[in-house]
Amino acid sequence: MRAWSVIATATLVLGVLSGVAAYERATPPDDWNEIAWPFPRDGWPAGRAFHCSAASCGGDIEVYIRPKLGFCNCTSGVADDDEVDRVADVDLISERFVPISAGEAVRVADMPGRIRPYNLRLGDGTRAAIGIAVSHRCDLLVAAAQGRGDAIQVQRAALELLAKAEPARWMKSAMNTQ
Amino acid sequence: MKGSGKLALCVAIAFVGGADVYAQQQKIGAPPEASNMKLVGTNDLQARSAYQPTIHHQGDRWIAYIGHHGGTDGIPDPINPMTGKPEPNGTSIVDVTDPAHPKYLRHIPGQEGKYESGGAQMVRVCDGKDLPKGDRNAVYMLRTFGSEAHEIWNVADPANPALITRIGGLKDTHKSWWECNTGIAFLVSGAPDWRTRRMTQVYDLSDPAHPVKIRDFGLPGQEPGSTGAVPTELHGPISTGPSGNRVYFGYGTNKGGFLQIVDREKLLNGPKEPIAENLRYPEISRMPLSALNGAHTTFPMPEMPIAEFAHDKDGKTRDIVMIVDEAILNECGEARQMVWFADVTTETRPMMISSYTVPEASGSFCERGGRFGSHSSNESMAPVYYKKVAFIAFFNAGVRALDIRDPYHPKEVGYFIPSITPATDKRCVTIEGKDRCKVAIQTNNVETDERGYIYAVDRANTGLHILELTDEARASAGLP
Repeated sequence: MRAWSVIATATLVLGVLSGVAAYERATPPDDWNEIAWPFPRDGWPAGRAFHCSAASCGGDIEVYIRPKLGFCNCTSGVADDDEVDRVADVDLISERFVPISAGEAVRVADMPGRIRPYNLRLGDGTRAAIGIAVSHRCDLLVAAAQGRGDAIQVQRAALELLAKAEPARWMKSAMNTQ
Repeated sequence: MKGSGKLALCVAIAFVGGADVYAQQQKIGAPPEASNMKLVGTNDLQARSAYQPTIHHQGDRWIAYIGHHGGTDGIPDPINPMTGKPEPNGTSIVDVTDPAHPKYLRHIPGQEGKYESGGAQMVRVCDGKDLPKGDRNAVYMLRTFGSEAHEIWNVADPANPALITRIGGLKDTHKSWWECNTGIAFLVSGAPDWRTRRMTQVYDLSDPAHPVKIRDFGLPGQEPGSTGAVPTELHGPISTGPSGNRVYFGYGTNKGGFLQIVDREKLLNGPKEPIAENLRYPEISRMPLSALNGAHTTFPMPEMPIAEFAHDKDGKTRDIVMIVDEAILNECGEARQMVWFADVTTETRPMMISSYTVPEASGSFCERGGRFGSHSSNESMAPVYYKKVAFIAFFNAGVRALDIRDPYHPKEVGYFIPSITPATDKRCVTIEGKDRCKVAIQTNNVETDERGYIYAVDRANTGLHILELTDEARASAGLP
């Protein structure tokens, strides 16, 4: 009987802990609402997607984040802008994207990589987008953002989201860096 | 049963289950695991991580040329016992005339760098007498030099190779193909201005001392100046030469792969400027795999007679391509990478017809450590095994022999999982920020020779294992 009470207590504790974890995961960062991953299944499991309204971010902006484990050169990391073009999931939004300028170095969740702005051509016009690829060992973490504002505005909003504690914690956990 | 008894039973079951998993871990000194295959000989290859073996009949000798990845974090430049000096991993040259006693002849250092960033992974060999403009007394070895170049060496005296030429200035290289009867080479390269890490550079290497570039080739969207989505990068091509007039390109590693069937004559002689229209011109068709799989090896087997279809009015023979994915993550950290058979008889409508994987439960392979899944197949088209038995390198599940005479129903007829040695390197996964490592065989590539010997090499530094078929597996190949 004592054994069953131990098991029941352990189950209750685990339930509470997983509930807390689920709440933490579901709690959106300020101004941002987590939304369902909007893309069809592809080679990598779905990641997390966030939306920020025009009222909060100056224009509707969405950010999509996910790890791509084993998809990076273990030695050189994210080497150049071509690699950002290839891996950063901007093609999920639209396969027709054109870089606005050269990319630049960036750090996200303490991982180094590159960020690059794009113009997207969609059925309803053009949109600004940002591609981000950072790496840890042989693994990539990528993020893509799109919005109706200009690219600078989208980039600033995306980086602010990625710098928040909860997404950063999730990214580090997903990349096994903590 | 009382509560405490049930709890004890649960603990006992958990313990026994754990012990079973532990029992699957390889141990130094334990015998190899085998069925219908046996070990003939071994060589440690100086404990260098191995990629492509190519076995060449050279005069009255049989020579194995084995490409290596770069070194490891622990040992970036292993000592070459023949020179006493540390050397970056390159190419091992081994005399396997007596397969029971292979004799290490020479190590040619490769590019400095660790893992896939160094070494000299790929190797192909052609006799000078076969090449249209080659030196009849020469034997030419084409190899990659790390990521930055392709090299051709004269290995007529395999213990004293001489560098002939180098094609450099590249950002990556990989699994090339060289037609010995024409000299045409399909070099997996990374031209600096292309948007992809790996594409094809077609060269005329009929005179190896004077390479002539024919063209760059890739998929529309990879070429310089293009924008938008970049298609999956190349892994490697296999050509059927002028008679077959096809080149089968495999794209992808463990994701988003596809098979591309290309008209060889149009590829060589069509318009060459790298624009989308010219890149599309030689393509006959493209068959996508699931996004969960890539195409490491695309091995053509045209005009295979299919016994089941023997009495059919049409379609008695089929053109088959065996597609082998590459597993890249340790301990099953990805979708299963395996072997697929495509019927490409109607080239514009290729269709996947069957598949093969090692049953995971047959060896608890996801628990053993390292990669589990396919990597590559033998690429020799020598009659001894061609269209009869295929050999697949399956990482911690060793070498798998498949009876492919009916490619609609491939059947495993043998396997060999080599023993680990003190040289076998660990493989790690990260759990909550900490590495957890295991040691397991990592059979990476496999090749055969005309005598029927099978050569398996290990990515985790265990060396070369020379094997032969036994019992009913020999019957599948029609061997006595």
